[in-house]
Amino acid sequence: MRICAERHKLLWWQNSPRRQRSRMEMTMRKKRNTGFFRNLFRGLFFGQNTMDPPVIEEEPVRSPMRMILIQYRDNKVAMTGLVVFVLIFLACFILPILYPLDPSYQDVTQQNLPPGFSQQKVPRALRQNAKQIDAGAAFSIGIDQNGTVYLWGILDDKLKAVPEDLKPVSQVSAGLSHVLALQEDGTLRTWGNNRFSLDQVPESVQGRSDIKQIEAGYQISMVVTEGGELFVWGNENLISIETGKVQGNVEKIVSNTTTALALTKDRQVVSLSAKESTFDAVPQEIQGRAVDLAATDKSAAVLTEDGRITVWGSQDFGVQEIPQKVQGATVAIEAGRSHFTVLLKDGRVVSWGRNNFHQTDVPAEAETAASIHAGYYQNYVIREDGSVASWGLKGYLMGTDDFGRDVFTRLVSGGRLTMTIGAIAVIISTLIGVLIGGFSGYYGGKIDNILMRFAEIVGAIPFLPLAMILSSIVGNNVSELRRISLIMVILGVLSWPGLARLVRAQILAEREKEFVTAAKAMGIRELSIIFRHILPNVVTVIIVNTTLNFASCLLTESSLSFLGFGVVEPNPTWGNMLTGSQASTVIVNFWWRWVFPALALSLATISINLIGDGLRDAIDPKSNER
Amino acid sequence: MIRYIARRLLYVVFVFFIVSILMFGIYKMVPGDPARMMLDTSIANTDPEQYNKLYQEARERLGLDKPIVVQYVSWIGNMLRGDFGYSSQYRMPVIDMVKTPMKNTILLNLASLVLVFGITIPLGIVTAVKQYSVFDTVVQVGTVVGYSLPAFIISLVCIFFFAVKFPIFPISGVNTAGFTGTGWAKVLDTAKHMALPLLVMTLSSLGGITRYVRAAMIDVLRMEYIRTARAKGLREKVVIYSHAFRNALIPVVTIVTGWFVGVFGGSVVIESIFMWNGIGNVLFTALKQQDFAVVLAMQMFYVVLTLAGNLIMDLGYCLVDPRVKLE
Repeated sequence: MRICAERHKLLWWQNSPRRQRSRMEMTMRKKRNTGFFRNLFRGLFFGQNTMDPPVIEEEPVRSPMRMILIQYRDNKVAMTGLVVFVLIFLACFILPILYPLDPSYQDVTQQNLPPGFSQQKVPRALRQNAKQIDAGAAFSIGIDQNGTVYLWGILDDKLKAVPEDLKPVSQVSAGLSHVLALQEDGTLRTWGNNRFSLDQVPESVQGRSDIKQIEAGYQISMVVTEGGELFVWGNENLISIETGKVQGNVEKIVSNTTTALALTKDRQVVSLSAKESTFDAVPQEIQGRAVDLAATDKSAAVLTEDGRITVWGSQDFGVQEIPQKVQGATVAIEAGRSHFTVLLKDGRVVSWGRNNFHQTDVPAEAETAASIHAGYYQNYVIREDGSVASWGLKGYLMGTDDFGRDVFTRLVSGGRLTMTIGAIAVIISTLIGVLIGGFSGYYGGKIDNILMRFAEIVGAIPFLPLAMILSSIVGNNVSELRRISLIMVILGVLSWPGLARLVRAQILAEREKEFVTAAKAMGIRELSIIFRHILPNVVTVIIVNTTLNFASCLLTESSLSFLGFGVVEPNPTWGNMLTGSQASTVIVNFWWRWVFPALALSLATISINLIGDGLRDAIDPKSNER
Repeated sequence: MIRYIARRLLYVVFVFFIVSILMFGIYKMVPGDPARMMLDTSIANTDPEQYNKLYQEARERLGLDKPIVVQYVSWIGNMLRGDFGYSSQYRMPVIDMVKTPMKNTILLNLASLVLVFGITIPLGIVTAVKQYSVFDTVVQVGTVVGYSLPAFIISLVCIFFFAVKFPIFPISGVNTAGFTGTGWAKVLDTAKHMALPLLVMTLSSLGGITRYVRAAMIDVLRMEYIRTARAKGLREKVVIYSHAFRNALIPVVTIVTGWFVGVFGGSVVIESIFMWNGIGNVLFTALKQQDFAVVLAMQMFYVVLTLAGNLIMDLGYCLVDPRVKLE
């Protein structure tokens, strides 16, 4: 037992004791050492689990490559590094296929949301007893049959501050970051975001008890009274609407992030936009027959008496491709930011439009719905018995950044870009380094002198400043793809001198050996001697160097992108995802924006360096004494 | 020895000129005509003839009408005479503009140099002497982590802990804005601002140098004369600190000298994150503002630093180790 513990202690960092001990001890040790990974690795790469040779028998001759593999396999730290790196690598090259990145995607309503999947976690008490639900940007509000208010999702302190004297509520509405609640006695309450006096009910509305409909929108609040009057307050610079033409005649109001539409008492649809907009082109044939109304950001839909849907506005995301089965069978319509959800006569629910957060994937349990409630990217269905079903955006695994983009998607896509740039840069630098080092070492003399002076010149150019200058001079007026290729080339072309010197030194040592003389005597071409006879003898050194170089290329690319001279927005890399994170507000409040990219980059470089160190130890038994 | 130095110097001069031609070429590739940028474009619309005349005059003044070789010669002549051009951003000669940043950079880097070697030399020795111990293992893993982390990640973590969670140090600037104190108060204020960049700079160099010192020490400990010393019955302390340590210092001294030149260079990443008004930050802002006269001057400055660093390192090696023969 004690020996065992000691062995682990010794093996932890490096594996040299194996060579220092007698063969007998070694064999004994080997027999005990049957860890899971060891067997797995052996099974994967070496066929069946071979028995160790008995003490007296000669150890079978092994090829150097195989020796290296065995040495490497015994190095636990290096193996951990390998496993971690393989995992990161697979994640960066497989996950972007499953979670494709749309570089141009931005969403102001989803800015700086913390990680978590709480957006559709309906409180238990509401789950069987719901009366009405409304979805806000990243939170939802609901009321049960008793008029009690429930809030869930991503709530800031202002939203959590539900008024203590809140009486039973009959209607709720959720906006971007504020809430409207209509109490059963007919009075209105509001809380949440306190800018643009959104947290106060204006005096003109305060006294009224005949409120029919409330609508909390994008930093705006709207109220419709029984008499058809419309009151609007909030950020009217963002959503400029004209209420004059429908005042006193409003039946229902719907709003989106840019404007509002009204359904009048005489079943007309009126666009309230003060500016010209796509919503103005209300189809004439539905006027006078409209019964329900819904609006996404860029399109609007109206439900007519005959149960048919008409959509107008933008055609993005297929919002105008109305499924055939809903025509003539619809009883209610709701809209999110870019999708429509309708309730049919038989209680079925159908959604269409954009599906980036699965907001149109209606689950089976949403059948037998009594009412539908949709907003932003979420959908809720309340069944006859008051139970709730939901679908759409549940949350973000790693939160969102300052443009409302999913950090996780950017992280994996960014990883792919970072790794690709690093890998190609390393390939370029290795090719140049091996070629120049090879020629220089083999030919010596004048060629050596010229090539080494050249290496010295390249080596004397300070790396980061030059890369910054080049990318700022050339980079601004070329396409993104060419800019990225340029960065790869700059990285590759400037980082070869070290390798060239190493290869040269190795080849200098090798070229005096007998096999080279023999090859020369046989009349083999010099190119072939250098690259087919000598190079395989130094290839291990090159591999180690390439691995370590890869890590430093990742670091350099990230530093460049971090400073804004590498890959630039909207294309993500681990470096530019961290740009601007040093601001203390980001560091404290939005930790997910820097912790995840920083962690990914650190893990990647650490594991690559561990692999490189492990390889070096395995290849050169002397080096691991250090 | 003297012949070697002379030859090395010759190489340095040669490399310097080649790189300067490269840099000048890159500078010429910068889009935009400096002569046109000097002129008021409104004249072009009202009086094209007058504008053309002014433009030609500006070109002449800047020497742009001469062939590119002549331009290069006059530029490099100015450089060598200490005229590094004129900063369009600060509206003063580059040489005057970089004086304060240079002072700040040297201050920061010297402090970091002292700290780094004050920590790494003892650490390297202890880990080498206690090779394979738990302590050694922990330090080894720590050093791999240390040299794998980019400076900006270390900065973020340091800001998080020392400026946000426990607000001890300020995160930007050299002095508090509007600070007027002098003497001791000023020193304290600067020290406070320097703490975080200094910490990051030190942390990011610890890993590599600890490994270097440890490797040097292990090499020495395996020498025959150490075995002899032990065989003589000398105490372990004497063997390590008197026989081994002094010899292990040889490679360490060489990198210290190499680093010493780097003291003038500054770090673009760290200085720009902490807005430390140093050489690296000057280069960063100059690039952002497209102030290419400053960029070019800084670039040449860095080239000289690198070349001088390499030369001094090689010379230092043969100065401290008489066994090294220069060919």
